[in-house]
Amino acid sequence: MEHSSDRRQFLKLLMGLGAGFTFTGRLPLYNQTPVTPDLAVAEGTSPAPTTRAALETMGGMARYISRGDIVLLKPNMSWDRVPEQAANTNPEVMRTLVELCYQAGAKKVKVFDNSINDARRCYVRSGIMEAVKEAGADVYYVDERKFRTTNLGGEVLKQWSVYTEALEVDKVVNVPIAKHHNLCRLTIGLKNWIGLLGGNRGKLHQRIHQCIADLAGFFKPNLVVLDAVRILLRNGPQGGSLNDVKVLNMIAVGTDQVAIDSFAASLFGLQGSEVGYIKLAHERGLGSMELSGLEIKRVRL
Amino acid sequence: MRNFRRISQIVFLLLFLWLLIQTEYHGKDIISYPVKVFLDFDPLILFSSLLAAHGIPPAFPLAMFWGLVLVGMTLLLGRFFCGWVCPLGTIHHFIGWLKKRKLPLKKKMERGKYRPSQRWKYLILIGLLVASVFTVQVVGLLDPLSLFIRSLALSINPAINYLTRAVFNFLYFTDIRMITTVSEPVYSFLKAHYLSFKQPFFQQSVFLGLIFLLIVGLNFYRHRYWCRHLCPLGALLGVLSRYTPLRLEVSKECTQCMVCVAACEGGAEPHSTDSWRSTECVLCWNCVKSCPKGAISFALPARRKKGAPYVDVGRRRLITSAVAGLAAVPLLRVGREYKGFNPQLIRPPGALAEEEFLRRCVRCGECMKVCLTNAIQPTLLQAGLEGLWTPMLMMKMGYCEYYCTLCGQVCPTGAIQKLPLEEKQKVHIGTAFIDKSRCIPYTLATNCIVCEEHCPTPKKAIWFEEIEVVNHEGERVVVKQPRVDPQLCIGCGVCEYKCPVVDKPAIYVTSIGESRSPDNQLII
Repeated sequence: MEHSSDRRQFLKLLMGLGAGFTFTGRLPLYNQTPVTPDLAVAEGTSPAPTTRAALETMGGMARYISRGDIVLLKPNMSWDRVPEQAANTNPEVMRTLVELCYQAGAKKVKVFDNSINDARRCYVRSGIMEAVKEAGADVYYVDERKFRTTNLGGEVLKQWSVYTEALEVDKVVNVPIAKHHNLCRLTIGLKNWIGLLGGNRGKLHQRIHQCIADLAGFFKPNLVVLDAVRILLRNGPQGGSLNDVKVLNMIAVGTDQVAIDSFAASLFGLQGSEVGYIKLAHERGLGSMELSGLEIKRVRL
Repeated sequence: MRNFRRISQIVFLLLFLWLLIQTEYHGKDIISYPVKVFLDFDPLILFSSLLAAHGIPPAFPLAMFWGLVLVGMTLLLGRFFCGWVCPLGTIHHFIGWLKKRKLPLKKKMERGKYRPSQRWKYLILIGLLVASVFTVQVVGLLDPLSLFIRSLALSINPAINYLTRAVFNFLYFTDIRMITTVSEPVYSFLKAHYLSFKQPFFQQSVFLGLIFLLIVGLNFYRHRYWCRHLCPLGALLGVLSRYTPLRLEVSKECTQCMVCVAACEGGAEPHSTDSWRSTECVLCWNCVKSCPKGAISFALPARRKKGAPYVDVGRRRLITSAVAGLAAVPLLRVGREYKGFNPQLIRPPGALAEEEFLRRCVRCGECMKVCLTNAIQPTLLQAGLEGLWTPMLMMKMGYCEYYCTLCGQVCPTGAIQKLPLEEKQKVHIGTAFIDKSRCIPYTLATNCIVCEEHCPTPKKAIWFEEIEVVNHEGERVVVKQPRVDPQLCIGCGVCEYKCPVVDKPAIYVTSIGESRSPDNQLII
């Protein structure tokens, strides 16, 4: 008896879902990968299809972005450098993500970064402004008035000036590039949050690992897309010489921001535990740096 | 014709202001518009530059020779530039009109008539040109276009920017939807089309602004005071207008009512053919329009009358003025602040060697307006009085952006050479030094690396020595202590600008090592 009742309920549910999807026109669930990996890594020859493949492997953008969402895509757009120099997030990756967000039903995609060099030059020379504009994103310079001192609840960073718009969106997708950093060893996703801070950010450097771990406890991305199309091996974080750039044509996607950073560290031949803030974030339970315990699904185009 | 003149004045003023607003980075490495075109057509700058260089100086921008076009046109037409084109003249015209329009006719006549003191401008011109011959080129201090650009760019425009931002910030922070839904789009529009990207700050804004207001305010005292009495460009064009074939003629209909004198912009005595002074006339056409009998006209007479009045500056005054120009040379040269090199005097990348630079720079302020980071500031006495208001970089205000070449692009005279990016990136404008008594790794025994992180050269000029030190808790720790490689350092100053020791940075740039000087060098 119990069994038949279960079956009946199940059938009802199926019918209901089917009707629902038919009317709303959304992708039926059963077309998606039923179980998503912890990390999807795609390698290809050009950034756009690689990004798409990585997202697909993670279950598709619609899994993370809902219809009507206002989405912040947070690149690393700090430097007056061109994409080939691998100091900023790849513009084609950004463009593809904007397209995917809109396809998933996002109402608006915003792109901004509190850059280090002159914002106008960073936005233009990174190629990001043009690329995401073409894809329909709202890209704008940060407005000084919209920084507010915010309680971060960190161990070192109790309070700091944060860009309020970053806190007012529905979904946040962190899109860092993986680079060498002379102080932190590496800058990837966790450190990318510094781009949403105002104030005298140079001061953070004195206790950089604690500060970044504090930020990782405060900013919770809905998705992290790691741009490893080109990575910067030396003279980071701004590089400049093409000799310091290594082309990997790789995109990694995940929801655990510590795992993504740890994975990125492996691209440099490092363990997550060798990077101070990754280790700290792991110890604070903000994510896992143990790659061996994660299901990493790789695709090659 | 008078209406054509008004339209011309408005068009040129708007063009001038629009070009000034465009003198900013708008997403392209090369400035899209000919923002310095007014200065290109300025023969006063051309002549004084040639005089100061005793010939055509090397790498002199060809565009400066547009000034000859204005010379040619002035020889034919007279001082039409002053009445029809000069944007500063238009401002004077307008302010003067504000004062004049309500006055009774008698007062207007008083304001319109010629005064012997109008000869001052010729004396100023002579003094400036004589000084130029003896290599002191300070014509930019009084050249009307330089003066106007400098005043607007360094004072008036920043002030309007500040006010606009203050108003819209106030409205924004009221947080009342009804207000912000209107004010924010307006603010966005202004930000996109008028306001500077960031609020500009200049050290002598107040000073420069007051000088400008004084010059404009003189119109309340006498009509077009600046144009009639002081302007050296007006004087030069006046001299060129001496024999202009286009002459004013008054017919027999004239009743000597003197209404034309009341309307005259230049104090050119248009009330009779014989009294009219071509050197003062700005061809405003007011006299023609105002004459109740229609007796005044401009014509090309076949034979010019002899003995037409001109400004007789007087032999003694002329000599005095020339001597003053000459005397200024040693006076300015001996009154310098530094015998050797001023560590603070960091010139923009591509600037010529100091002597040559001072002979070229016309203090127009274009480079300061266009500077991406607001680093370029006007000097006060850092380059001596001779170098007043010439550009220098202050790394606490901004820094030299590695991929930017804008200042060289907008410099009208080539005082800052227009360099291709690859060459500009090799120019050393100074050298950075570390103040170990303030630098964080040296004093707090903790890492910082901010200077190294920002250092833009592909092979970084800042490197680290890893040193084991004892921190305040008595622990032995290894810290990265920054060091500067003076061979790699280009002196861009981003390290000083970004140093977390914010009040007095622990790394700072001084002028030594600057490429433009063979002597101000650290390394053999």
